[in-house]
Amino acid sequence: MSVDPQGMTRRQLIRHSAWFGAAVALTVAGGEVISHVAGSADATQPARPTLRFAQISDSHIGFNGPANPNVADTFSHAIGQINSLGYTPDFVIHTGDLTHLATPAQFDQVKQMLTELNTPHVFTVPGEHDSTDDAGQKYRQAFGAGTRGDGWYSFDVAGVHVIGLVNTLHLQKLGHLGTDQLEFVEKDVAGLSSDTPIIVFSHIPLFAMYPDWGWGTDDAAQALSYLKRFASVTCLNGHVHQLFSKTEGNVTFYSGTTTAYPLPAPGQGPAPKPMTLPAGKLRDALGIREVSYAKGQQALALKDQKLT
Amino acid sequence: MKAANLAAGTAISASVAVSGILHAYLYVNGYRDVPTIGSAFLLQGSVFCALAVLILVGGPAWLRLAAAAGAAASLVAFGLSRTIGLFGFIETGWQPAPYAQISVAAEVLTVALVVATVVRRRSSVRHET
Repeated sequence: MSVDPQGMTRRQLIRHSAWFGAAVALTVAGGEVISHVAGSADATQPARPTLRFAQISDSHIGFNGPANPNVADTFSHAIGQINSLGYTPDFVIHTGDLTHLATPAQFDQVKQMLTELNTPHVFTVPGEHDSTDDAGQKYRQAFGAGTRGDGWYSFDVAGVHVIGLVNTLHLQKLGHLGTDQLEFVEKDVAGLSSDTPIIVFSHIPLFAMYPDWGWGTDDAAQALSYLKRFASVTCLNGHVHQLFSKTEGNVTFYSGTTTAYPLPAPGQGPAPKPMTLPAGKLRDALGIREVSYAKGQQALALKDQKLT
Repeated sequence: MKAANLAAGTAISASVAVSGILHAYLYVNGYRDVPTIGSAFLLQGSVFCALAVLILVGGPAWLRLAAAAGAAASLVAFGLSRTIGLFGFIETGWQPAPYAQISVAAEVLTVALVVATVVRRRSSVRHET
């Protein structure tokens, strides 16, 4: 048998093949062991929800007024409170108005602060304060990676389909989604089975909370019509700086509070202007929200916490 | 020479094992629910653990090259997940801490050790000829 001096002998070939076979066998065995451990972790923790995340909203970094002279401090406390929940949330959603005036420095500051959250993933949707002068360009530079269109997106986690919508860019008085985004929603959910739980994030409410103050979205009905066939739809929003919930058919809407300053209840006063509370009362109006979902349950469980 | 090679193999095996074990741990603790990324973590964890064992028991050089290629691919995936997104999924900074930092350090070390081994071997071959 002739042997190429630069090539491989038959014996070497057999030896390398054996090493390759061992690598494949060990990889398969290792994969089995890891999957088994993951399965046992599920079995030993039946009470653990399938999905746990936290919502923060309306941090208004850059705001300076008597309603809250230090919004960075209260936002920092909110971050600390999420980090002290006793578990690591699967993700944290900030439902908009991250900044007050959408300056590059404010975006830098809020982005830096969000890295302090002890969670694998932070998601955001823009508020109207994040897109005051540039139709959300600076927002998308800071937070738009991986999003589509003007910053909308969707993803699946733990069997739940999550959609982040942008309804603050083309608003006249009410929030507005626009044709492109409505098309996105329609296509996005078209392939999902009707028992998939849906969570929708937006800044401005997708329900008519108080249209006189712009607390609603003019074309939300169209978006929600695409979600009608789903058993469980939960919409979480910010913007209104106060807790509020409403159920319409299969959809439950939850407005979240703020980490910056309170706004009046709908219709209480001429306009939604920042309210200055008596000393020591501010933190009672601010807070964070925990959201959990357990497989097989119809609805999500929400727990609102005041800022400590 | 043999002792240096043994030491390099042990160090490469250890760094590969650290990255593999961390990816397996993160898979078990939540990442398995992330579409595509979860499967990628499972694959990375099992392949790296297998490579770590085989490199430790004195497997051929191509196992080290495969480990370096895998580590480099993991670093690229890490970079993508923090910039333009990977399969539609984005993470922020060094979260989940401290696993992200340790894993990146282990992968950088793997690449560096393998490159150093290759360079050293080439220079010693040149000296012999």
